[in-house]
This record gives sequence, structure tokens and C-alpha cells, in this order.
Amino acid sequence: MSQGQAIKKNIEGACDVNWDDYLKSYYEKPQSAKTWSGYEVQELYTPDDLAHKDYKREIGDAGDYPFTRGLHRNMFRGRYWTRREVVGIGSPADTHERAAFCFEQGGTGLNTIADVTYEMGLDADHPWAKTEVGLTGVNITSVKDMETLVGDIPLDKVSWSLITASTAAAATMAQYVVVAQQKKYDISCLRGSIQNDPIHFRYCGFRPACPLDLSVKLGADVMEYCTRNMPKFYYTTVNMYDLREQGINAHQEVAYGFGIAMCYIDELLRRGLHIDDFAPRFTFYVSCHVDFFEEIAKIRAARRMWAKLLKEKYGAKDPRSMQFRFAVHTAGCSLVPQQPLNNIVRIAYEALAAVLSGVQSLHCCSYDEPMCLPTEKGHLQALRTQQILAYETGVTNVADPLGGSYFIESLTDKIEEEALRCMKEVEDLGGMEEAIRSEWLDRKFETEAVKRQKEVDGGDKLIVGVNIFDSEPETKTPLGVQRITEQSAKQQISEVQELKRTRNVGRLREAIDRLRDDASSRKNTIPAMIEATKVFATTAELLGTVREVMGYPYDPMQVIESPFK
Amino acid sequence: MAKTRSDSPEEMVQKLLAGDRRAAARTITLMENQSEKNNQVMKLVYPHAGKSMVIGLTGSGGSGKSSLINHLIRRYRDQGKRVGVVAVDPSSPFSGGALLGDRIRFQAHSMDDGVYIRSMGSRGYLGGLARSTSDVVRIMEAMGNDVVIVETLGAGQDEVDIIHVAQTCVLVLTPNMGDDIQAMKAGIMEIADIIVLNKADLDGAILCLRSLEATIQFAISQREDGWVSPLISTVASAAKTEDLQGINELMKTIRDHQEYLHESRAIDEVQAKRIEQELGLVFKDEVQKFIFKGLKGTGKKRQYIKAIFEGRTDPYSVVEEVLSTFLKVGAKVNETSGSKKHI
Amino acid sequence: MNRDKIKVIVSKVGLDGHDRGAKVVATLLKEAGMEVVYLGMYQTPEGVIRAAIDEDADVIGLSYLSGEHLVYTPKIVNEMKKSGLNDVLLVVGGSFPPEDVPVMKEMGVDEVFRGGSLTKSIVDYIKKNAREKG
Repeated sequence: MSQGQAIKKNIEGACDVNWDDYLKSYYEKPQSAKTWSGYEVQELYTPDDLAHKDYKREIGDAGDYPFTRGLHRNMFRGRYWTRREVVGIGSPADTHERAAFCFEQGGTGLNTIADVTYEMGLDADHPWAKTEVGLTGVNITSVKDMETLVGDIPLDKVSWSLITASTAAAATMAQYVVVAQQKKYDISCLRGSIQNDPIHFRYCGFRPACPLDLSVKLGADVMEYCTRNMPKFYYTTVNMYDLREQGINAHQEVAYGFGIAMCYIDELLRRGLHIDDFAPRFTFYVSCHVDFFEEIAKIRAARRMWAKLLKEKYGAKDPRSMQFRFAVHTAGCSLVPQQPLNNIVRIAYEALAAVLSGVQSLHCCSYDEPMCLPTEKGHLQALRTQQILAYETGVTNVADPLGGSYFIESLTDKIEEEALRCMKEVEDLGGMEEAIRSEWLDRKFETEAVKRQKEVDGGDKLIVGVNIFDSEPETKTPLGVQRITEQSAKQQISEVQELKRTRNVGRLREAIDRLRDDASSRKNTIPAMIEATKVFATTAELLGTVREVMGYPYDPMQVIESPFK
Repeated sequence: MAKTRSDSPEEMVQKLLAGDRRAAARTITLMENQSEKNNQVMKLVYPHAGKSMVIGLTGSGGSGKSSLINHLIRRYRDQGKRVGVVAVDPSSPFSGGALLGDRIRFQAHSMDDGVYIRSMGSRGYLGGLARSTSDVVRIMEAMGNDVVIVETLGAGQDEVDIIHVAQTCVLVLTPNMGDDIQAMKAGIMEIADIIVLNKADLDGAILCLRSLEATIQFAISQREDGWVSPLISTVASAAKTEDLQGINELMKTIRDHQEYLHESRAIDEVQAKRIEQELGLVFKDEVQKFIFKGLKGTGKKRQYIKAIFEGRTDPYSVVEEVLSTFLKVGAKVNETSGSKKHI
Repeated sequence: MNRDKIKVIVSKVGLDGHDRGAKVVATLLKEAGMEVVYLGMYQTPEGVIRAAIDEDADVIGLSYLSGEHLVYTPKIVNEMKKSGLNDVLLVVGGSFPPEDVPVMKEMGVDEVFRGGSLTKSIVDYIKKNAREKG
């Protein structure tokens, strides 16, 4: 019986409290003085710990290189962070409805997330898709689905974040541009972002859709297209968050995330773009895990490292190129289904860390994520958490309020040092592409994940409700359960089938031929994808055509053949 | 244990010969567990075995053997051949558990009746992995599989023994193995009929190819049969159509080797060697079991260990002594009635 | 002597890509002395059952994280019944609302381990119950 259990048991029978246990509990002290990632920390930090530091050169004011303390001098006085909630549920129409709800409730950014079928590059009528369409996000098969999803949302005003991470992001980009053009928007004015980080997505179960060379090719096609045509659009969000969720620690998150980012940068430079042409629109998705100071230090370290990397390695001159712009996603893997309301507290601490580290855009998890897709109430609670932070707590008044703390600055240095060591390790393997190809990174993730579980099993990492202060399992989810009805999926599938029967096949074939030609001659595929989307080419058709050119089977699941043979 | 497996050996073998997958699976479990029924079952299986092409694939973890096997299965299935796969992965010595069969079963043939895949870990009994693998391959043959593929990690003598069941032995290497290749070549290089450099798209593949060629030249010069082991480059993991060339070449080379074996009649020697090894393994296993059974309950085993521990004797003298006693009795039995019951 | 080791099939079904948990559990069951056949992602219910038959498994462990548990579990149970695997233990892990635990047990799942379960509880359950069914 853990101490927590013992106390609980005794408190229940209030008359016979075991006072020895009480005393033990009264004098209990933390078991470990290590951070979540395992760094030893001192009892007390003093001016001596910072004595050697050159403030201007190594830390700098917020808004100044190397941006340790933030990207802007006035930080949130200039503008609050964007308060986003990730939405993706059932059909495009269902998703639109939930997005509208979030706006009504004061959300300021919109994140729509692709479901597994869309990320895999499958149309809604694919044999593997039929049972899973809309279960974990939204599937966009044709431009019609995108039209439904957008509805009356003003694309020139709203900052829309399209969460398609895999190679399917190229299709998303084309579908988004076509709908925007149909609605008479000047695409050069579109704001928002697309996740478009296919390299990392192989680690999230989408390897068939994201072979390495195809990931670099299509990822860079989107980046290049946006750089040339949509200068206000953030064309990638390199997803360090998903890497962290594999079980790795804080400095590995930074090191491997930067490694993947450099794969894209190197490709864009190979295509003849100059670093300052595109780097100002490079963004990241970062995790905020539960170790409060460590996460703040991690983000500060990442900001400084990115600035140095871009300036020193890539020769960037424009300060905007050196700015580490990031959104935070509070750590889904820190949440547990045991005593679920505790998750609200975890999310709040994580969100506070994000804000104190100068976040640009924040998504708070819903407390019910370890149990089901977010309910409307869950979404609302997450949004309210952000609003309480922004409007009540006063943490927005001063830029980098923890800067100069002996501890925070020391921990920032420590994480930078560890992350640089990790990057060097990858470099010695022959670079990130090599680490991925040889599956070195897979093995890293696997061993780290097992290590994390053993820490919890052995009580080295304590989680309330799991290995300390646990209680009888709940039988009910406090605010209800989100269910996806089959009806939405059935409706979407039949619409897709109808579309495929009725579209103009001649024009479609011409457009697909052009896409194939462009892909074969190593041209950017996005313009041809846009044209094909206009004549109702579907997601699987766009991607399958390029896949074949690159030497891969048309269908990632290897079930269906190309209809264009 | 509530799980009842009460079928008689005759019933089990009859069912597995008739294509009952569950009966086959349970028979294989018997072999792994070195059950009492083991010999009875194998006696019934043996006459139906021996007609398959047996291919060994050996290479370290992460060399992409599973992906290669996937491709081979697909090719043989296209030719209408039934395929059995025995994936051998010895247990971790600390816990005794094993993580088996990772990624062999891609959905493409997960429901194909013509494919039977079985993963095996060492269950740590006396006969070792070589004996049980040999038995399981015989069962797979008896099940009517035209091709039986044996996958091993290729480390240690035990695994070199396992690979001897194969008529054609394919050694799988990767460019990023570095010094491991040097360490490996000692035992396994000599018995490899085909050497595959898998993941040939990795950096360093060219260098690796050159150094391998030199090593192979040496290995070939040690071979007596005159077969020149070809070196093939494959990319099994990438799933690219163009990468399938290497697989085609591997398929063709396996066929070439089989043709060579049959045309030169070397196949007879290969089969004879396999039987010799089988005989050796069964002998070793059964004699050891027989002797330990004889010692059981006499307290002698403990006495011997104590004596050796205290330096009064050594394992060699003990074995000599025990053998001479047991073999005399055994010989007498054979002379008189031929029945083991008298022992 | 380690005779009769417990053999476990660990798999995911469908397109869900969250495989960290399944891999971790597979590794830890292995370390607890079991033979684990890890099938990985993109399996069909029929494919999982076929593997369980061919491997003569004592336990099938499935991991779901994307709300697909109510879609695939009945199919798995049905396939098990069809194939006569009534003595094989069916264990499910992953993210589900507590409301769905009795629902899955009603369908025929022997035990459900939600996120946050400690490895020991899973290992103990399997060691106690494998081969006791049927």
C-alpha cells in the first residue's frame, strides 16, 4: 500500500487515524531533486551561477538577438497569444459547426485537424477508410468537403491552422487555395498556417504515407509555393510536440525537432531560395509538459539555439529569420483517465508555463482526452483556462517575467548544452535524414518510451491517481462522452461516390496527366494539384499520382490501383 | 491449467496433415515445450516431410529480414506456392521473454490460407533451439508448404546449427553494420550461399559492397563445393517499385542455387547433412534426457555437483563414469529384449 | 526450466497510429518473461485472429487510442468465436471513457486496462488468468 493509500484509508475511518502514518506524511519530502528529464538541480541558485554570463550577448532583451527572452519587446502588450482549440470531428459540416462554437466562445484562432484516413491520403470511400472516417478529425476528400468546412468563415480575417501533417498537406494546401480563390480572396493575403511536417509523421503511425524522399519533396513543395505566392501564410509547423509524445525528454525534443527542420531548410536552399526568403515564416509546434520550470527553460533555450543556428549555420541576415516562432500544445501524454478532473489542473500549469515562456499561439488539451475525443464542454473548459490566464492572472503584463532568475537561466543553459550534444550525436551519424533512414531514431523513441513507463512503474515519476493517491476507478466521465455517429461518415462516403460518378472525367484526366508530368520533371506539384482540385480530383488521386512517379505504390495501403492507368 | 489439449498424437497429426491450422499450431507448441508426446508426434510427421524447398535467412536485428521475407512470400504466392515461415528469435537471457515476429505480417498476406507464419523463442529446455527448429521445419514440410523459410539472427553456434536445416542459406547484411560484419564473417560467411546487402540506399553502401566483395572472395576460396556465392543489393523496406529489382534478383538467385543443387546432385549431400545433424541433435537431446531421467531421484546429480565443486573430481570424469555405467546397461537391454522398459 | 511460456499477441487494428503504448506493453511483457508476438499497426480483426491461431497464443492484447474500440472489438470477438478461440484471453488497453469498460466486457473482452495502468497490474492479470479460460 502506498503512503497515499494508507492515509486515504485512515482518513475514511476518521476515528482510527493511524497517527504514525500521519507523522510520516507530515514530514514527507520530495523523493527526487531531478527534473522530469532527469537533470540534477541544486538546492539553491545564487548570483554565482550567473557570474560568468554576458547578458547582452548570451541572453539579451526580449525582441533582441538571440531572443532568449522572447520575440517581441512588448510581448503580450502588443497582442495576446492566439487562443486556439483543435477541432476535427465527424464530417466537414460537423467540424464547421464545432469551429463556429469555439469562435462564439471567444476563441481567436481555428485549428482543424485531419482524421487518420485523410492523413494517410485515403479518400472517404477507400476500403480502409469506411469504418474510420471522421473518428479522429475530419476527412477532406474533394474540394467540396473543403467548401463545407470553410462555410462562411472569413478567410482573410481568421487565422486558420490547417492540421494536416503528412504528405496529404500538399492536397490540403491545394484544396484550401481553390476554395479561397472561388470565394474571391486574394491568396497573397491569406493568414494562418498549415502543419505540413510529413517527415515527423512517420513516427505517428503514418509511415506508408510518409516515405522520407516523398516527405521532403511534397513538404518542400508546399513551403516553396507559399513562399512565392502566400507570403503571410506559415507554411510549416515542425512538430516537436509529436516527437515529445513518443516519450523522449526535453532536450531531445528540441534536438530532434531542429534536426527535422534542417531537412526542410536544406531542401529549400537546394531549390535556390535564399534563407531570408523563407525562414521568417518557419514555425514550430512545441510541447509543454508537466515539469513547469523545465518547460519554460526548454522554450527559452530553443529560442536562443534557433537564432544562433539560423545566423551562424545558415547565414541569415534578417532578424525575423532567426526568430523561433512556436505554438504550444499542452502535453496530451501527461494526462491520465484516473481522477480525470485533475487533468484540468495539469493543463492549467502547462498552459501557464507556455505563457510565461512567451508563446505565440496556444492549444490547451481538453481534460477528457485520455478517455474520448473532446466534448464540447471539454473544449470550452480548455478555452476558459486560456482566458483565465489572459484576463485574470496578470501574467501577460511583462515580457519574460522569469528572465534573470538564477535558476531559470541556469536551467536554460543546461538544456541548450544537452540539446547541442544531442544534435552533435545526430550529426555524427550523418545527419537527421540518415538517423531516420537507418531507424536510429525509431530505436531511440522505443527505448525512451520504455524508460518512461518504468519510471512510473517504479515510482520514480509520480502521477497523482496513478501511482500515488490512487482511488477506486471512475465509472463515469464527468462531463459526458463525445460520440461520433456513423451517419456523418455514411453521408460523406455516399457524397464522395456520387462525385466520382458525376465529374467530368476527360478534364480530370488532363489535369492528372499534367500533375504526373510536373512531378516527373521535378517541378513544384502544388500548381498542378490546384488545377486538378478544381476539376474534382480527390486527395488520394492527387497524392497517388505523385507517389507513383516517385516509385511508390499508388495506394499507401496497397489495396486499390490508380484509376488513371 | 485449464487449457485442454487432449488429442492423441495420431489425431493431431491427422488434423495437421488435413490442413487444420490450429492442430498444426498446437503440435508446434508441443515441440517447443519438449512435451512427452514429442517423439511420437515426430515419428508420424516424418514420413510426410522432406519435400519442401527450405531457405534460411540470417542476419542481425534491424537488417530488414522481415521485409525481405514479406517480398519473398508475395513472390512465391504469385507462383501458387504455399509458404511456411519459422521466425526464430532467442530469448533475452535475463527475463527469458522474447519479442517475436515484429513486422513480418503485413496485412497483404495476413489472411492468405497459403501462408503460415510461426515465431519461436527459445524456451530454454535441454535440446535447445536447434532441435525444436528442426522439428518445426519438418512439421511445416508435412503441412504441405512448398517453401519453408527459416529466419534467424545469425549469432552464435546454436544459430549456425539452425541454419543447417536450410538448403539455401541467405545471409542478410546492412551497410551500417560496420565492424559487426567483420565479427560475423567468421562463422556464417562460409555457409552463406547468397549474400544480400539490404537497404542498399543507405549511405556507405558502396564502401560496404567493396569490402564485402573482398570478404566473399576469401570465403568462397574456403568452400569445397564450387558454388560461387553471389552478392545482391536490395532495398526491402522502402516499398518502392524500382527497389523491387533487388528482390527479383534474389528470387532468381535462390532459384539458380536450387537448380545448381539439383543438377550437380549436391542436393543429396545437403539433405544427408541435414539428416546427419538432425540425428545428432535428437541423439544428444534424447541421450541427455535419458541419462538425467535415470539419475532422477537417486541424488547422484547433486553428489556429482558437490564433488566437482569441492574439487574432488571434474565434469569430464563424471560424464565418463556416468556414460560407461549407462551405456553398459543400455547395451545389455538392446541385446536382450530391445525394450526400454527394463532400464 | 521455462516450459510453457505464456504467448501473447499484441496488436493494433485499423489505421490508428498511436503505437507507443502497444510497443511499450509488448516490451514490458517480454521482460516479464512472456513470449510476445508484436503485430504492429494496420491489422484487420481477421488478421489478428489468424496470427493468434498460427502462433497458438494464450492471450490477445489490443490497443486502441482513437475511439475505434467499439467498432473493432465486436468484430474481434466474433472472429474469435468463429475460430473457436474460446480459451484465449482477450485484453484491451488504451484510451476509453469508463462508460465503455462494461460495454466492452459485455462484448466479451476479459479485461480492460486504461491509460495510466501500471505494468505490474497487467502482468499479474495475465499470469493469473492466461490458460484459465475455456
